[in-house]
Amino acid sequence: MSIGFPGRKTAWLTLLVVTLIGLAIVLAPVWIIQPFKPQSPRGLAWSYVMRSWSPLVTIVCSLLALALLVYLWRGTRRWWRKAALVAIILPLLAVTWLARQNHFEWMFHPLPNAAYARLPEAGFVADADMVMTIRNKGEAVAYPIRLMAYHHVVQDTVGGTPVVATY
Amino acid sequence: MRDEETGSWWQQVTGEAIFGPLKGQRLTPVIHDELTFGLWKREEPAGRVLRPDTNVEAAGEYAPADWEARMQKVRVTTAQILDASLKPRTLVVGVVSHGAAKAYPLDALLKQSPVLDDVGGVPIILVVGTDQRSVRAYERLVDGRKLEFFARPPSSEVRLVDAETGSEWDFTGKGISGALSGRQLKKIPVLNDYWFDWKTYNPSSTVYELGARQ
Repeated sequence: MSIGFPGRKTAWLTLLVVTLIGLAIVLAPVWIIQPFKPQSPRGLAWSYVMRSWSPLVTIVCSLLALALLVYLWRGTRRWWRKAALVAIILPLLAVTWLARQNHFEWMFHPLPNAAYARLPEAGFVADADMVMTIRNKGEAVAYPIRLMAYHHVVQDTVGGTPVVATY
Repeated sequence: MRDEETGSWWQQVTGEAIFGPLKGQRLTPVIHDELTFGLWKREEPAGRVLRPDTNVEAAGEYAPADWEARMQKVRVTTAQILDASLKPRTLVVGVVSHGAAKAYPLDALLKQSPVLDDVGGVPIILVVGTDQRSVRAYERLVDGRKLEFFARPPSSEVRLVDAETGSEWDFTGKGISGALSGRQLKKIPVLNDYWFDWKTYNPSSTVYELGARQ
């Protein structure tokens, strides 16, 4: 029997809706910005908005969902209902964590502590390999493309100027 | 790219912030080259080279040496409608000069180097290095005077001669003998790219056709 306020049905429904909102705001940008698929300026704009709001929205959703979970948990003795509650809230907690990660760059591997070799020690590059090169105030640097195709972003200071090399 | 300080999103190819607090800002492009390592190290014996990360190397996660050949088979991503004359993964050398974009298929450059052209109203020259892979581009203007170049027969170094003064020029765009010795041609950034990607960021780009010398 559903007695009291809020009704148990309403509570279940609210829990579902809150979970879906949390999942959507984190996962929709991931779907829109997936690699090897063209993106539209509008899709990117929406993604940015969702991404900016997702840390706050997911925490609010999680707190609300936890409150509902406690309420529903107390009112039930059936194990499968409890299991359903856990099954609903776990993905929400997962995306709440994800909203705080820079997960878009996980598949790129920025090189935090780039190291360099002088020519005599640069046997790891073949003469026929392509390199991206810059020269500034007498300082010359080469970034092998085979490495850049993995790391994608390397920060450096060349001839006193901070630069980012990207591929 | 995303910067840690403001969380703005930056477009790699243009260096422009497209969303976030820094939206509309642009990073200053650094003139760079894309060369074979063999050619670069002759020019820069004192240079330094980015080292592979030992963990990544040990795990075998870097691209294999033949990765460019493998990339030819990867599906193409673009919202642009492509010119039917070029296959999407044709390697092109892209140039933007005074607002006009032009793509030079690498194969055409290899056959015809040096290529003299006018892009955006500016006379330019594209030269292929002795490695038959590295490409550089320059404005072919000295003191407002337009130069016509031809190549000396192939040797171990690139040697260009201008028809106006008979001066000799090297692959770095520097005059090395004759009346214009010591002068430097102004370098134009070039981007080695696939045709579909170049077209995505330069929708109005034209394509250089072999033999279509102006």
